Amino acid sequence: MSRSLVLYSQKQDDFAFAAEVASVAGLSLRRVATLEEAVAPLAAQEGPVLFIDLASQEVLSALEQALQSTVGLFSDLVNGNSFHFISDEDFEETPWLAESPLMGAFILRNYKDPQAAGKRYGRLISASLQERAFGLKGLLGPQAQVQTVRLARSIQKIEAVEAVRGYVVAAGFNNRMASSIANAVDEILMNAIFDAPVDAVGKQEKAAVPRTEDFVLDGRSLVELEIGFDGQTVGISAVDHFGSIDKSKILRHMSKVYSVENYKVKSSSAGAGIGLSSVFQGGASFFYVCEAGVRTEAMIFFSLSESYREFREQFRFLATQFYF
Amino acid sequence: MVNVTRELNGNKLTIRISGPIEESVNFDELVGQIPAELRVITKEVPRINSVGVKAWIKFFQGVVGRGVKVVFAECSTAIVEQINLISNFTAGGAVESIFVPFACQQCKSELVGLFACDALKAAQLQIPELQCSKCPGKAVFDDIPEEYLGFLAR
Repeated sequence: MSRSLVLYSQKQDDFAFAAEVASVAGLSLRRVATLEEAVAPLAAQEGPVLFIDLASQEVLSALEQALQSTVGLFSDLVNGNSFHFISDEDFEETPWLAESPLMGAFILRNYKDPQAAGKRYGRLISASLQERAFGLKGLLGPQAQVQTVRLARSIQKIEAVEAVRGYVVAAGFNNRMASSIANAVDEILMNAIFDAPVDAVGKQEKAAVPRTEDFVLDGRSLVELEIGFDGQTVGISAVDHFGSIDKSKILRHMSKVYSVENYKVKSSSAGAGIGLSSVFQGGASFFYVCEAGVRTEAMIFFSLSESYREFREQFRFLATQFYF
Repeated sequence: MVNVTRELNGNKLTIRISGPIEESVNFDELVGQIPAELRVITKEVPRINSVGVKAWIKFFQGVVGRGVKVVFAECSTAIVEQINLISNFTAGGAVESIFVPFACQQCKSELVGLFACDALKAAQLQIPELQCSKCPGKAVFDDIPEEYLGFLAR
């Protein structure tokens, strides 16, 4: 019996999206009417993928209650990696989701074409069903060629960012889109170079180091940049070998709204939270894969678009797979 | 690499910033002495990363804090995005004019048009179509209006 994709949603677009995801990932799709039905397979079989229509915060509370009354909210059977929440509201409008241990993935319901979005997301689900979801190649279409660049020194980040900018312009993205993509790459590389390195007790080693400092990236500090384009989507991955990324911190940063008057950017800290938040709001999809103490891959995806507005409004998601 | 050119006219200094603003930027060094008024032109800034944003805010907060009147003019699309995203990005300075992005519906060219903020407000944030500079086609506003012009409605 194949693994299942359980869909808790009455929306036809969600069904079309999930059906394509299931088809690509080789899952059997089961649509359910209640959250109790949605979580029931957790007790009976291992590893269903759950797609939940997150219509409101009450849905999340009801899901937690349903889990509590079936397998227990803190059971080993409950793994955040399996939960994918579909929402009309953007991630910064659902900050309570960022705080939930169930937050595995957030999908903004702006599919445009549910089948095409499902095909893309289905590749991510396929990867997540493997022992580890590492690797950019499987997340792009079959014709994608993935190139890997190893950064030997921290200051090579600037060259790498400009090289990516040139790559995406050659792929057909306009200058403004290319600048957005370059900014996104800048942020994920900065995280890999400065935020990822930790010592034996998990203390960050480079977080306070000025971002202009030049140092060698070798051994465990090696940072790799992967890039591929399948004719429709460009994917870029920053890889570090610490596996130290703090999921809750990343999600908190991504859900912040810096445009409101009561939330101001402090000029004193060097963190890249503001960068990630603006990159996500600017049209990027994110997929973070992290094996604690081993490796983190921060992957971003952008679809080729005819206009910048279309680029901004493209289908996007924020997905995570964490292995402890 | 970011570059700054200075033009001093009495009590008024105009600076033109060009290039991507990132970690290597040192505004104090690049801008130098500032008189009572500072006009900042960012037409040639294609992007700004998070470290650049922090350096920017720190610098302009310091300048405004010293009582200098700051005006941002000819703001590039990258700078307008930051003005919209971050409530304290202008540190209390005024935004005089911005570049507005357009896309030609015929040849798909990427274009920008310079608009005074006061004129945009007077037109109730309605952006007119432009004649494409590369073909006979019409160029239309190419972003999400309520987001790109959001700071004007604050």
